[in-house]
Amino acid sequence: MADISKHMTKACDMSLGNAFVPVEYYTSPDYFRREQDMIFRRAWLMVGRMDEVPEPGDYIVREVPTLKANVVIARGKDGQVRAFHNACSHRGVALVCQPRGNTMTFRCPYHAWLYRIDGSLSAIPGEQDFPHVDKAANGLAGIHLDTWGGFIFLNFAQEPEVSLSQFLAGLDVMLDGAPFEQFPFCIRVTDEIDCNWKNLVNAFNEGYHVAVLHNKTLRPAVVPKDNPHLHYLDVKQFGPHSTGTVQRNFDYNPDAPALTWVYAQMLPTSAPDLDAIKQGRAGFHDHPGINRLKIENFGTETITVFPNISIQPLANGYLFYQFWPISERRMRTEVRIYSRHAPRTLREEYAMASTLAATRDVVVEDMAMSRLQQIGMESGGKTHQQFGQNEPLLRMFTRDYEAYLAGAAM
Amino acid sequence: MNHVQLPPQFAFLEPFVDDWGSLATQDERYRKRQDLSQAKLEAFHAALAPRLEEVFTYLDTFDPAALPAAEALLFRVVLGLTEASQAVEILGQPRIPHAPYPHTVNMEWVGYQPH
Repeated sequence: MADISKHMTKACDMSLGNAFVPVEYYTSPDYFRREQDMIFRRAWLMVGRMDEVPEPGDYIVREVPTLKANVVIARGKDGQVRAFHNACSHRGVALVCQPRGNTMTFRCPYHAWLYRIDGSLSAIPGEQDFPHVDKAANGLAGIHLDTWGGFIFLNFAQEPEVSLSQFLAGLDVMLDGAPFEQFPFCIRVTDEIDCNWKNLVNAFNEGYHVAVLHNKTLRPAVVPKDNPHLHYLDVKQFGPHSTGTVQRNFDYNPDAPALTWVYAQMLPTSAPDLDAIKQGRAGFHDHPGINRLKIENFGTETITVFPNISIQPLANGYLFYQFWPISERRMRTEVRIYSRHAPRTLREEYAMASTLAATRDVVVEDMAMSRLQQIGMESGGKTHQQFGQNEPLLRMFTRDYEAYLAGAAM
Repeated sequence: MNHVQLPPQFAFLEPFVDDWGSLATQDERYRKRQDLSQAKLEAFHAALAPRLEEVFTYLDTFDPAALPAAEALLFRVVLGLTEASQAVEILGQPRIPHAPYPHTVNMEWVGYQPH
């Protein structure tokens, strides 16, 4: 690629003139309440993978902290995957108490009301005292569920305004067939931070900070000479979702004996596998919707799914980041590092633990900065943040955030 | 009551057993790294990093799911280097700049029980 600069998408290329964004969006309890109602109760929310419940009877319990929802996702005898609120119809107990398992029935530990794996109410002990309860109408409360690419999405509206496919607005079409299923094993990293969730959304939507904040961790591996501010390349938007291509330094070769040993055992999630690329078995590398420019030093495609997901397909797996608001100044981050398989040897366990530590340190840098950002914004001296021409996805997110809050059609 | 000893050929790691030998999770290792001096982390790294291949050539001869006590202790000590090397090879300091201290992070290997 002779001149990479012509592929550096600027805000003006996307007609995004909203350079100034009120700090209030990030500090006000009122905005948080509007986000709960107008975004998180309307949008499709990604919460897991179908391969977490591969067999009939498999279930997982997921929290959606923004809505205080506790959700059971279960595969029925019929193979269908359903989602329910984890609340007994009798007196509300969150009856499924294990984070995952396999069963054909859920039994409430309080009075033993019994539910089938499809959520229907099967038995009430002492049923003669509940003549007013129609069992057929008293199953666990369902939540709309749909899937794309093996990802499970929930919608908490009574009736979703749009289908999942309409919501994804073409992102699903461009990434159709991307081989996420080749990487079924994951390590989950979770933490809660004193900051607004959008601080983290924004951090993953620009590369401008990488050479500075991640000076020691990421910069040597990913910031190339011809793109010192790590502009995202070839940004595409699909409704409120987006994707942009990020480079990498293929000649990254640190003078670091422990890291070098790790590379020789099992390549970290992000490190290019040159043999696999040559042989056409490099996971996401050959998918037509990823690295559309065919740059030689392809690092990742950073895929943002509104409102709170970032997915980065990498050479040997992918990273999944999710940002849940808990209040206007508190959030939960979940990072999942997906790989081809669980460790098969102690060498691989060491290598994966090393990659875990390295990935976590980078994310902790982002979280640390988001906390400082919150302190600064809450201090009250500034009424606005300002987004550069090199931060188009921050402007785009803000545009769509405002549209959702205003109740615009999806 | 740590009466388990390292396999004799790895006695050079004895000075690091107190710090790393009883830690059971990655988060405990991450916490330990935050509390050790950079000098201690560098000494551990200097002793072990050049000899990782030697350690694992030895550990290769055991069933990973049924490590005897001495080898399990060895592996726990060695896993400490996954954190120490971040401080020594990458950050140049034990703690991540600007991060809260003490800092803990929940890390779960889904469907796999790490050592």
